[in-house]
Amino acid sequence: MKARKGKFFAKGIHVPDNKALSKDVPIETLEAPDIVAICVQQHIGKPSIPVVETGADVYMGQLIAKEAGYIGANVYSSVSGTVMGVEKRKNINGTMSDYIVIQNDHHYRKMELEPLADREPATIKARIREAGIVGMGGAGFPTEVKLSPKQAVDSLVINAAECEPYLTCDYRLMLERTDDVAAGIRLLAKALGVDKIYVGIEANKPDAVALFEKYDDMQVVVLKKAYPMGSEKHLIYSCTGRKVPVGKLPADAGCVVQNVATAVAVYEAVELNKPLYERVMTVSGKGCIHPKNLLVKFGTGFGALRDSCGEKPEAAMFVAGGPMMGPAMASTDVYTTKTSSGFLMLLPEEIDVREPQACVNCGKCADVCPMNLLPMQIDFYTQAGQYDLAAKFGGVANCISCGCCAYVCPSKRALTQSITLCKQKLNERRQTK
Amino acid sequence: MNTVQISGTPHTRKHRTTRGIMIDVLIALIPATIAGIVYFGARAAVTIAISMFAAVATEWVWLLCKKKSFKEIWEQYDFSSSVTGLLLGLTLPAFEYKYFYIPLLSAVFAVGVAKMLFGGTGKNIVNPAIAGRVFAFISFQSPMVSGWMTPQYASLGNAVASSATPLTAMLGQGLQSMGVTSLDLFLGTGVMGCIGETCKLALLVGGIYLVCRGVIKWQWPVIYIVMTGLISCAMGKDMAYFVPSILSGGLMLGAIFMATDYVTSPNNKWASYVYYTVLGIITALLRFGTKIEVVSFAILLMNLIVPLLNMYIRPRPFGAAPIPQVIKGKIAAIKEKAAAKKQAKEGDAQ
Repeated sequence: MKARKGKFFAKGIHVPDNKALSKDVPIETLEAPDIVAICVQQHIGKPSIPVVETGADVYMGQLIAKEAGYIGANVYSSVSGTVMGVEKRKNINGTMSDYIVIQNDHHYRKMELEPLADREPATIKARIREAGIVGMGGAGFPTEVKLSPKQAVDSLVINAAECEPYLTCDYRLMLERTDDVAAGIRLLAKALGVDKIYVGIEANKPDAVALFEKYDDMQVVVLKKAYPMGSEKHLIYSCTGRKVPVGKLPADAGCVVQNVATAVAVYEAVELNKPLYERVMTVSGKGCIHPKNLLVKFGTGFGALRDSCGEKPEAAMFVAGGPMMGPAMASTDVYTTKTSSGFLMLLPEEIDVREPQACVNCGKCADVCPMNLLPMQIDFYTQAGQYDLAAKFGGVANCISCGCCAYVCPSKRALTQSITLCKQKLNERRQTK
Repeated sequence: MNTVQISGTPHTRKHRTTRGIMIDVLIALIPATIAGIVYFGARAAVTIAISMFAAVATEWVWLLCKKKSFKEIWEQYDFSSSVTGLLLGLTLPAFEYKYFYIPLLSAVFAVGVAKMLFGGTGKNIVNPAIAGRVFAFISFQSPMVSGWMTPQYASLGNAVASSATPLTAMLGQGLQSMGVTSLDLFLGTGVMGCIGETCKLALLVGGIYLVCRGVIKWQWPVIYIVMTGLISCAMGKDMAYFVPSILSGGLMLGAIFMATDYVTSPNNKWASYVYYTVLGIITALLRFGTKIEVVSFAILLMNLIVPLLNMYIRPRPFGAAPIPQVIKGKIAAIKEKAAAKKQAKEGDAQ
């Protein structure tokens, strides 16, 4: 179907996207290291419960941790070998979690899921749950839960915007595995029971747009190149013209949003009987000698990624994910998960660690805020400890934490951090009530 | 391995800094400063120099008293006190040398009292330069008026401007007695006034520079200036008032450089539109009421209500219900309440 232009959306920012670094590099498979550490919590929700004993022999694709509730996901081994135990190790953001540590025997003995008897929506959903698929755009919300909304929905929106600078993993997937992505999208639509499919692609990827135009059952929407175009609410607005009401979920606007990588995982789980144990990641940044798009097994240390792509000696910062929302890592001794979409090695010229100065009330943050909030007010009241006033005058509850405000701030204020703090405090208060 | 740095998200940021913005404002004021010095001579240069020096010195002395090192102060120095000093100098008349203490004291008052006492950059509630000017105006009335001097260049027209602002005469005695042409007003030739306010061309050039650099939005000064012009026309019941009223007095300087000061103007789109509209109305009304230059007083007045504007005029979040729907909902709620009350009353009666 012919591509259509997305609905105009005025706010947001234009970040130099630096996608050229890794845009034309085909996906390569990264050899897993000798020891992988697989996190039992790679998603939003309860940590999964390990079901393998120390010393057990596991196959690649064997269930090693079982979901612990409705909002949860199974975890599968990404290599074959021997389980060395369950250990506490550091997460990307510095907190601690249980990790199942496996000694890789490099034989990659495979274990597959049972082939499916039919392709009914209920069967597909059960398979998505069984394969442990979560939203791979970054949030890590279990996909099956997302596909079972309480509200009536009529459209599936595929997030192929990839608005974060540097990241090209979704773009490469769309280019190299177009048919798999399309098949995954169709399966998702079938599971959801909808026939309207929108694929939102940013205007800076014309070749991906051309590839998806050949499918007649999905509408390609060319989105304006802006950050944060991949935010659920703005993507839905741009594709369908609907606005998600304040404080509601996308399903309230009749839409479910899924990511390109998730669609591929669904295709593999349903058609190839392969559970989720690997994903494509972008390793990039000007501090990286050979930027690459890598197919990485979960539990691979970021150190292995760094060694594979080479690090320039002057690289000053390691970021997991994109530079706008991904956390900076203190060391590379952390492990990839289902939600790791990238690994950036940034030079001092690309980062900005200047000290914050006094707010001059310029209003540039309010000018770019895609949610029409007043970040400077939130910051002001949060610094004063007045979290209720921050919610009232700044509208902190609607914030999507995109970081546009902090990006433009001429005083380099830590607006994102203020907002996160305010949200946490309000959450604590709600829970104690 | 080299040392790894950690920062909060986002890791890439725009290069624009507060210091850069303030330097842009200084650059934008260069044409007006040059025009002032050309028109009013060395005395203008001295006045501006004293004012700038005093403003910066006050801030630095204040910070030194707070036990900060020179290096620290310089690293955090955002040039906002230089802007204050320069703006203050431009709003003062070119004083005779014996009155050197007026710009000095005004600048000390502007930065020391109006800015640093309130907590420094970003915390002041009134524009320091305006506060300094008003301080000078109230404290040193006679030099402020006798200090006015006729510029070195004669008027293009044959008449000589005879009052502080030709506008006063114009409004008092009609258009024809104004004495100068609109072109004179635009170029500032033969017009008496403060150092920086007479050459509107220079101010406009500076304003366009600021708009192009993204420091101010074109809507801000335009709303203010047009509003003042329109209200003046309405008061005089003649559209001929429009051009002279927007070209005279300190309106241009005030609208482009003073009212648009970030700290003391609203922080979101609609609040700022309201701010500049009301500012225009107040300026025009005050001009009819008094014989003194009122732009600074109007801005001072409006600065005080900016926190209220910020508080009550807020953008609606993305995805909020459209306004007609909100009103409908409110009306329905009121009706429901009334119906419930009625029902309760009937129940009581039974």
